[in-house]
Amino acid sequence: MTEEELQGIRTVEVRGLRKVYPGVVALDGADVTIPGGSILGLLGKNGAGKSTLIKVLAGVVPADAGEILVDGEAITLHSPHDAAAQGFAFVHQELADVPNLTVAENVGLGLGYPKHFGTLVKRRALRTWAEKVLDRLEADIDPGASLTSLSVAQRRLVTIARGLAANARLFILDEPTASLTDDEIAHLHKVLRSLRADGVAIVYVSHRLDEIFSVTDRVTVMRDGNTVYSAATAEIDKATLINEITGSAIAPESRRRHVLPDGAGELLRVEGMTAPGTVDDASFTLREGELLGIAGLVGAGRTELMRLIFGADTAASGTVVLRGEELKINSPRDAMAAGLALLPEDRKEQGAVLDFSVRKNITLTTMPRFRVARGVPIPNERRERASTREYVERLKIKVANPEHPMRFLSGGNQQKAVLAKWLGSDADVFIFDEPTHGIDVEGKEEIYDLMTELAARGKGVIFISSEFTELVGACNRVLVMRDGRVVSQLEGSAITDAALVGLCYSH
Amino acid sequence: MSDDVPSPALVLDKQLPDTGDGPGGAPLAAGAAGRRSGSLTELASRYGLVGAFLLTLIVFSVARPSTFPTGRNAESILTSAAPPLILALGLTVVLVMQDFDLSIGAMIGLGSGAATDFMVTNGVSWFFAVLGVLAIAIAAGLVNGYMVAFLGGSSFIITLAMGTVLTGVEFAMTSQNTIYSGFSTSFQDIASKDFLGLSHQIWIAAIVAVIIWLLLDRSEIGRYMYAIGGNTEAARLSGVRVRVLRMTGFVIVAVSAAIVGLLLTSQSGSYAPNIGTSYLLPAFAAVFLGAAVFRPGEFNVAGTIVGVIFLGVIQTGLTMLDLATYMINLVQGGILVTAVLVSRLGQRRAG
Repeated sequence: MTEEELQGIRTVEVRGLRKVYPGVVALDGADVTIPGGSILGLLGKNGAGKSTLIKVLAGVVPADAGEILVDGEAITLHSPHDAAAQGFAFVHQELADVPNLTVAENVGLGLGYPKHFGTLVKRRALRTWAEKVLDRLEADIDPGASLTSLSVAQRRLVTIARGLAANARLFILDEPTASLTDDEIAHLHKVLRSLRADGVAIVYVSHRLDEIFSVTDRVTVMRDGNTVYSAATAEIDKATLINEITGSAIAPESRRRHVLPDGAGELLRVEGMTAPGTVDDASFTLREGELLGIAGLVGAGRTELMRLIFGADTAASGTVVLRGEELKINSPRDAMAAGLALLPEDRKEQGAVLDFSVRKNITLTTMPRFRVARGVPIPNERRERASTREYVERLKIKVANPEHPMRFLSGGNQQKAVLAKWLGSDADVFIFDEPTHGIDVEGKEEIYDLMTELAARGKGVIFISSEFTELVGACNRVLVMRDGRVVSQLEGSAITDAALVGLCYSH
Repeated sequence: MSDDVPSPALVLDKQLPDTGDGPGGAPLAAGAAGRRSGSLTELASRYGLVGAFLLTLIVFSVARPSTFPTGRNAESILTSAAPPLILALGLTVVLVMQDFDLSIGAMIGLGSGAATDFMVTNGVSWFFAVLGVLAIAIAAGLVNGYMVAFLGGSSFIITLAMGTVLTGVEFAMTSQNTIYSGFSTSFQDIASKDFLGLSHQIWIAAIVAVIIWLLLDRSEIGRYMYAIGGNTEAARLSGVRVRVLRMTGFVIVAVSAAIVGLLLTSQSGSYAPNIGTSYLLPAFAAVFLGAAVFRPGEFNVAGTIVGVIFLGVIQTGLTMLDLATYMINLVQGGILVTAVLVSRLGQRRAG
């Protein structure tokens, strides 16, 4: 590997890109121009199509239609390897490096290490070479250090260094500042500006508007798989941008928002919940019969806070008070016994036992209810089946036979079955983490109805969602989380899409 | 990547025959149709091993009509299959929860050694010696389980190391001396006497089989154990006591290994150091064979029983054919591989 030469400035263009997943149009004719020597901010709500666009450029998923042009010439990307060959480098939100290798080994990964006799890696040469690349980023990182000893910010820099070493001419950074401190963000921005000065094209994906204004030259906004707005950053203001992100014409809410009954007492109080790195002194209360929304961006700590309350993770400090009584929760089992229920965010990883039948999944949380006789821990399968049938009918779970494994169900129906598992429990507080994720419109309505019904019965319902419109439509109160804290709340008619976007995106 | 990508589930959604056709939800065709069209292959995957089992029975019966298909031979096969079966049944419990236990061979040796030390060296009555051995097994299982389930050690490594420790304890107790005498008749009777024409060992194995079957297939705890094996995190978030149950699994398998150690010592009326090692891998082979039958892909009690007896039949049959040792090895390995592959093949096509 020799010192790279500066290649000609390149412009990458995306024209009419379309990608349809079964049931979802992820990209619907997106047009983006990324000139060399500039930083483009790419914005959009969750589900707007940013990630799909990035995946197409990375060669991870093929586009159904449209073209990608480099300096006016159409290229095809069949694999991540093709993308690398075009000089496209990616800094993903999640770290995508090899933690058990050293910094130098990561920087040179896939580029061919310098070798003795063509086989043994020249460790010292690799090290000095990596040092040179890292110096260009002004990164104070020891090339011999193992990646696990580095901070998240340092690891992102190592990824950038790898792109640099590979002569990348287009860098795409997806939420690169998530979990970085202000100083680290400032350093990253400095690095990006110096890359820009070298003629590199940079796409900067972020939800943080302040950063967009401070570091980008142009912005492109995506909505519903389309690029709907493009402008020079200097010529626009925050309000315009928020408007473009949400879409100026928000559909009128068809649903009637849940109304809290008068004189509802306090049901749950969470105080000073803290876990290092994710949740920072979060407090809130939940009243009886309340449908409380939690808004926030990815990484705001919503899921993490709920997992702490439910005992799925261990909190460093904080108390949970239910009906005036402080709970001692060390495990989900304790939480359930106290009257909490949590529908986890990721149904495949955390919600369902996919090889279990639908029946066994639904009855898993309430097994003791189906005992053949009191005190005999042997389930009566006939009664299990009857109960399962009830839920299948009530939630309209589409399954030929509840004895079939969960695996056979579609995503939305799996989600409903996992929901059923929790509805059967006698909990006082139901926490639903992204319950409508990946569910079609009709299914979503059913889930809203269910949550409203629970609240109407005096239960407390916590509803986490990344889709602001559904929080607006369903909740009587919404908390906004940012950086692990509950930073503000909206009540009643003050809950609007624009207000939520404003609160979530300001930094 | 951020979160605006349709989840894989959604993609899967439509790959299966569509389910959402109209109100009321027309019955899902996916599973049923898949099953029907693959019924032959599914049959092969479910009962392929049983078929292979029957086939070997026929082959051996035809080859050795006067000695193989006799009641006496059947009883002898079952008797010698009893200890491996007890071990394999215990192993099934931990494997259901996706844990390994490689210390069971050593636990057999320790069970035998401790029993010898108690009875022969210290003159303890057989009843209390048995209780002592079972107590040691419970302790060993608790240690394994605590280190794996509570401290998060890899079950593979922890139990491998624990096996060495257990053998060390065994040798410390017996000084590695082989012992041929000094066992009471009543202790030797445990394994060598018959009841209703069948060896006690068969009855004990049958009782263990019923208990483990009740546990895994009928009880709440078994449901939880399978849930842990299917998705540990989902089970934990559903309030299942994951760590306690995994630890329980290690106790169960250690106790079953100790029972095997006791039976082997009782049957031979002697002690030889480290006799359990040769039982370790066949137990795994039997349980994995069993996972290829009845409920393909899932460890299950019925499958384990078939697996153990199948292995026993092959062993006995091949020996009766007077084959050279190398042939026995070749044929035995070949039958095993074929049996598992046939059912896997069916499974892949069916699923």
